[in-house]
Amino acid sequence: MTTTVVGFDQVTKSYGDVRAVDGLTLALHPGETVALLGPNGAGKSTTLDLLLGLKRPDSGTVGLFGTEPREAIVAGRVGAMLQSGGLMDEVTVAELVRLACDLHPRPYPVADVLARAGVTQIADRRVDKLSGGQAQRVRFALATAGDSDLIVLDEPTTGMDVTTRQAFWATMREQADQGRTVLFATHYLEEADAIADRVLVLHRGRLLADGTAAEIKAKAGARRISFDLPDGPVDEAALRTLPFLTTIDVSGRTVRLQSSDADATVHSLYGLGLYPRNLEVAGLGLEQAFVAITTAEEARTS
Amino acid sequence: MKGLIRLELTRALRNRKFLFFSVLYPSILFLLIAGSADGTTKVDGTGLTLPTYMMVSMASFGALTAVLMGNSERIAKERESGWVRQLRLTTLPGRGYVIAKTASAAVVSLPSIVVIFVVAAVVKDVRLDAWQWLALTGAIWAGSLVFAALGVAIGYSATGDAVRPITMIVYFGLSLLGGLWMPTTTFPRWLQDIAAWVPTHAYAALGQAIEQSRAPHAKDLVVLAVSFALFTGGAAWLYRKDTLKA
Repeated sequence: MTTTVVGFDQVTKSYGDVRAVDGLTLALHPGETVALLGPNGAGKSTTLDLLLGLKRPDSGTVGLFGTEPREAIVAGRVGAMLQSGGLMDEVTVAELVRLACDLHPRPYPVADVLARAGVTQIADRRVDKLSGGQAQRVRFALATAGDSDLIVLDEPTTGMDVTTRQAFWATMREQADQGRTVLFATHYLEEADAIADRVLVLHRGRLLADGTAAEIKAKAGARRISFDLPDGPVDEAALRTLPFLTTIDVSGRTVRLQSSDADATVHSLYGLGLYPRNLEVAGLGLEQAFVAITTAEEARTS
Repeated sequence: MKGLIRLELTRALRNRKFLFFSVLYPSILFLLIAGSADGTTKVDGTGLTLPTYMMVSMASFGALTAVLMGNSERIAKERESGWVRQLRLTTLPGRGYVIAKTASAAVVSLPSIVVIFVVAAVVKDVRLDAWQWLALTGAIWAGSLVFAALGVAIGYSATGDAVRPITMIVYFGLSLLGGLWMPTTTFPRWLQDIAAWVPTHAYAALGQAIEQSRAPHAKDLVVLAVSFALFTGGAAWLYRKDTLKA
């Protein structure tokens, strides 16, 4: 039985004049680890809210396991960790996790949940006395209190230091290895790259790209090449013949290029008989990668 | 839902300030007001001695404190922190959150009523029939639900910053105007006319009717019923509005 875990069909959600989610259509399948990638304001949180039934779409339909989101949640099929998910004050971590286990139809033992989320040591600490990273791990514990089929995480590593972050993703991978569908929102391309086997790129509420991390990187992964040509005038026309070039910008003797295959471009650069100085090749930041994908997308659709 | 009720209760019982104000404070106030009164002077037009009269007022006040103070503020803060959203991602039914809050407040309001009764009986020799003690406990406890609903409504209408002052104004207004701190018979005429329609006044009047061994006034029952309908209706409406917005 190949059911759709998450199904969005032409979903739109606006706040006033702002279209947070704009005609989104997508389907997630069992066992996938999916990153929802996008800059702040791309509509990631709204998409997750719609998915979890916290918000209702203005138009279109959202389904979880072929039912209404709320039905799937009541059936205990979804564990979720929200960016804005507050915690109950004045109780201990263990008490709160016990509550999450109580509320789940197929709960795990409290001790296991605590251990897996790495909060056993702070189990007796009061929730309102936790650091940001510790609170995140408690939220993760709440999301994984029982045997759910889908785990949804909104920017889960916010507030974690590098070590905790790595430990967190190791735990996350375990969840995925057990056959669960994992969907997480992030604005770090590296996180999406390292964890996800499918990446959805969201920009202004629209799905810009949907593929493996490698495909996305190839699509967005243009590299920026910059160098100086100190000897003689710059022949821009010759530079434009370079392969895999997407943009070119010459100012004085400094040349800035973007290329979808930096190795080939640089190789040909020397082939032109030029001697670039201060050569730098760098990956694009995510923000620029989005611009690259958006531009490509707009060029394609127009 | 039992798990959440248990946890809400654990946390309420852990909060010393809340316990002091809802369980001990009314008794202290009772002793301050009724402490020097002799057991024979009657409160105007009631046929009850001051300690007997004030015992019901303070039990009502204690129950009011227990159900109003904690919940309104917690609900407003937890809406803002996102805990309410997090709970919506569990199997807990939508009403469960409010029910758990109300149930835990009701558990705290019961001792606040009983402690006053014990203090009044032991220190000020208040004597009533067994049925009256039971009826008083039941009536004041059940009546506190009216104000629990009000607390929920405030919690869903106010922001985290505004909730405390709003609750305080409502709390003091209801206590004072309802005659929970002093008999309304001491008020000027015009204020008595207003007080007669305040739900806390009807609430305390219910207890006083039991002390006087007579049926409560129909008007008081109507005021309480209408208040209950308004407060629960308002709370339900605000809750639904909040859920759609979330």
